[in-house]
Amino acid sequence: MLTPVTVVDDSALSRKIMIRSLPAEWSVDITQAANGVEALEAYHAGKAHVMFLDLTMPVMDGYQVLENLKKDGFNTMVIVVSADIQPIAQERVLALGAMAFIKKPVDTDKVRKILTEFGIL
Amino acid sequence: MTIAALNADQTDALQEVVNIAMGQAGDRLARTLDVFVKLSVPRIRLVHVSEVIRTVQEMISNTSLVSAVRQAFFDELRGEAVVIYDNAGCKDLANLMGYNDELSTLEEQELLLDVSNVLVGACVNGIAQQFGADLSFSPPSIMAEKIPLDLVLSPENLSWQYALLVEVNFGLENSDFKSHLLILMAEEGIDTLRTSLDRLMEAI
Repeated sequence: MLTPVTVVDDSALSRKIMIRSLPAEWSVDITQAANGVEALEAYHAGKAHVMFLDLTMPVMDGYQVLENLKKDGFNTMVIVVSADIQPIAQERVLALGAMAFIKKPVDTDKVRKILTEFGIL
Repeated sequence: MTIAALNADQTDALQEVVNIAMGQAGDRLARTLDVFVKLSVPRIRLVHVSEVIRTVQEMISNTSLVSAVRQAFFDELRGEAVVIYDNAGCKDLANLMGYNDELSTLEEQELLLDVSNVLVGACVNGIAQQFGADLSFSPPSIMAEKIPLDLVLSPENLSWQYALLVEVNFGLENSDFKSHLLILMAEEGIDTLRTSLDRLMEAI
């Protein structure tokens, strides 16, 4: 079965880089979202068993997405992918229910390691 | 527009490059001040010299007086960085840096130069690194002190016709402090940048 994965980032380039960083053997059905609102739409449509989530975005940012997911029972695994590398940013998203944090620029090995660690791969 | 602007892909790529660099600069500032730095989406515009004040005012929408520090960068990328500080928040900055009393003019200048150096160094170097470019910097200098925003970037102080304007802002949590980092690249700088962006996109 294909795993429904949503990649959320306001930059098309950044989404492309993220999608290219996913392990080739992982069978996924990818949905792209350019902001938090689109991310929640994809989530409610069942397209986000796994979500790669940027933080700094227009319309609705990543923190607000996490808060909304929390209210909804968090029926997804969220990996935050952000250029905001402050340790506090990392602590906050984990406290809001994100499973892991990946720094930009994205390191492909790190993506694989996290997916393996959480039994997704 | 008489010079070629960046196309949509180039603009998107530049925005992401700036975003990563801004994150590095924000982290440096957070470590220097020991606070959480609030980041927002970088903004990019191509502006004519006659439009620069209006554009910056739209971006910054500041009513209080500002101070500004400028620092030029050159070699593989060329341009100028200007950091604009909202005067109302400078007191918070001083407190975070451990000054308890009213600052003397000299101390305040030193503080702004130090913080600008951290922000410009991390942000502009962060951009250059992603392009694999080496840069040199001029020392930072005070450009304006406690004046209205529209007087900081008056056209007679600027030597170009068109420039690419990149704006990132840094706010501090639970504080009035606000600063805006503007990166200005004139015509020839934009050409080099465009080539670097194309190369970066090809490599992905």
